[in-house]
Amino acid sequence: MDVFHYLALGFSVALTPLNLGLVLAGCFIGTLIGSLPGIGPINGVAILLPLAYSVGLPPESALILLAGVYYGAEYGGRISSILLNVPGDAGAIMTTLDGYPMAKRGEGGRALALSAVSSFFGSMGALLLMVIFAPLLSKLAIQFGPSEYVWLMIFAFTCLATMVGKRPIKTIVGVVIGLLLATVGIDSGTGILRFTMGIPNLFDGVDFLVVVIGMFAISEVLILLESWARNDLKLTPVGKSFVSFADLMAVKWVIFRSTISGFLIGVLPGTGASIASAVAYGTEKRFAEGKEEHFGQGDIRGLAAPEAANNASAAGSMVPMLTLGIPGSGTTAILLGALLMFNITPGPLLFEQQPNIAWGLIASMFIGNIALLVMNLPLIGLFVRLLSIKQSYLVPVIVMLTFVGIYSIHGDTFDLFFMIVLGVFAFILRKLGFSLAPVILGLVLGKVLEENLRRALSISGGDWFILFDGAITYVLAIATVLAIVLPKVMKLRKK
Amino acid sequence: MLYDRIFAGAFLVLSGLIAWTAYHFNVPFQYEPLGPKAFPLILSGIAALCCVWLFIKPSQNTWHPTKEVWVKILSGLGIMVLYAALFEKAGFIISTTLVGTIFSWLFGEKLLKAFLYALVLSPISYFLLADLMQLNVPVGILFGE
Repeated sequence: MDVFHYLALGFSVALTPLNLGLVLAGCFIGTLIGSLPGIGPINGVAILLPLAYSVGLPPESALILLAGVYYGAEYGGRISSILLNVPGDAGAIMTTLDGYPMAKRGEGGRALALSAVSSFFGSMGALLLMVIFAPLLSKLAIQFGPSEYVWLMIFAFTCLATMVGKRPIKTIVGVVIGLLLATVGIDSGTGILRFTMGIPNLFDGVDFLVVVIGMFAISEVLILLESWARNDLKLTPVGKSFVSFADLMAVKWVIFRSTISGFLIGVLPGTGASIASAVAYGTEKRFAEGKEEHFGQGDIRGLAAPEAANNASAAGSMVPMLTLGIPGSGTTAILLGALLMFNITPGPLLFEQQPNIAWGLIASMFIGNIALLVMNLPLIGLFVRLLSIKQSYLVPVIVMLTFVGIYSIHGDTFDLFFMIVLGVFAFILRKLGFSLAPVILGLVLGKVLEENLRRALSISGGDWFILFDGAITYVLAIATVLAIVLPKVMKLRKK
Repeated sequence: MLYDRIFAGAFLVLSGLIAWTAYHFNVPFQYEPLGPKAFPLILSGIAALCCVWLFIKPSQNTWHPTKEVWVKILSGLGIMVLYAALFEKAGFIISTTLVGTIFSWLFGEKLLKAFLYALVLSPISYFLLADLMQLNVPVGILFGE
């Protein structure tokens, strides 16, 4: 079998001492970042990206590290949700609903252990699905031409607009801002300069890292400054930590269903962990109706469902990123940008031409999940203690790392100032209710979208009907229309 | 005045500027039908439409910063600008000690304790980042050259 051959190759990459160390480090840092309130996976990956780049890690190693941070953070997010009632990241909001009541009852240890196991099964299940479906999807994607890619990206943006945030219009504005940022610099087709305003630093385009760090890390520091108040968060005592067989049996189907729905939602471009966990929670609540349910009061099913789903969606969102080059979430958009910086273009050919990267990453995720289970069961006390790190110690470190990370790329102070400008801009956007993920998605996909659009029209000699040529374009066009119509219909039905 | 309207107005002007700039790109030769102008023009068109929509149907203001919040945000911003200005010239250790102290203080630490924390943090980080991870970290006037 092909798959086993490739998996073996993947493990041979992932088990080299450097990569093994990076998986463990990534998972540890990820859990830590996820558990600290306010700093989610997207910030963690953003802060570490320039460091990983400047240190000169090989691309597969950098990807393994950053991916470890990503899914590690999905584990860590639950710790503060359960113990503090403060979600560590957006994907862990649903976990507070039943996790915190359990902790208040003195069952914090039981909640932490059960959610760790749910996370583990969610991730592992999604990884198996990934091993099966990613190669299939990449085989299908080989037939994609420029028109199909244009549609795929429009589909991704549409999903993002209709499913994320309250105002679709603001998501579209965000995407357009990202796409416009991507047009800055030398045009690859004709060599003319676009929107550089005569600044030499912009001739190569806006630096992806500067945008990511500025928009996420710097604006996050400003938000932390604003929201900081002198209140000491009270940790609920953890209690005895254990996983009982009876608990596991009670939630086995919950985990199974949530893993599958989480994976599928993760695969859908633009939708990520927060939607996956909300859908899983809602589904399980409906399933349990009538039968002894205490959702919202510390029901273990309400704890297992969102945790299995948000971890499954993290793995799921890697699938379109690796096979199509279309990220499934904001964080995978950053991972995609990281790969592009290493001159690796993810897409259908990645699995065949650079199997060490694609399969090395998948294998490392198997290892990482086992490591995370170990870290999150016996070592949970350590992370709980780290939760009480004061922000007065944390923020200086964040600011320092962002500055060092950005400066070390080109050794130019211009980037630092540009980063701050972007940070302020992002802060304003966030305060006005815009989400930043669409901007990053637009930035990452901007060049690809323009190139494919121009290529498609070159093929047709300027005839726009090339966008409706072939069965796949129709399928994608219909999917796009459905992505606009379906959420509206569902809303009407709810009423 | 609703923030959304201000934003929509400003972005509308910007998209007009973008369209004008893109329209006047000097393209000496071009082998494809679309060229470098079309994509920015399409985008600025979409942006303009969105802005008009947002102007007509703005959201309510949800952000009501107090004076105290403004002071905090602006001082944080000022310190970051200062950090950027000092980073290369004064070097990592000095600028990080200074900026770290102020940030730690802004987040509620006592000034002396904040200073001691930053004083320990910056040389250790310098060693970790510059020597161990071999990153390009500026030494600055005091220690180098």
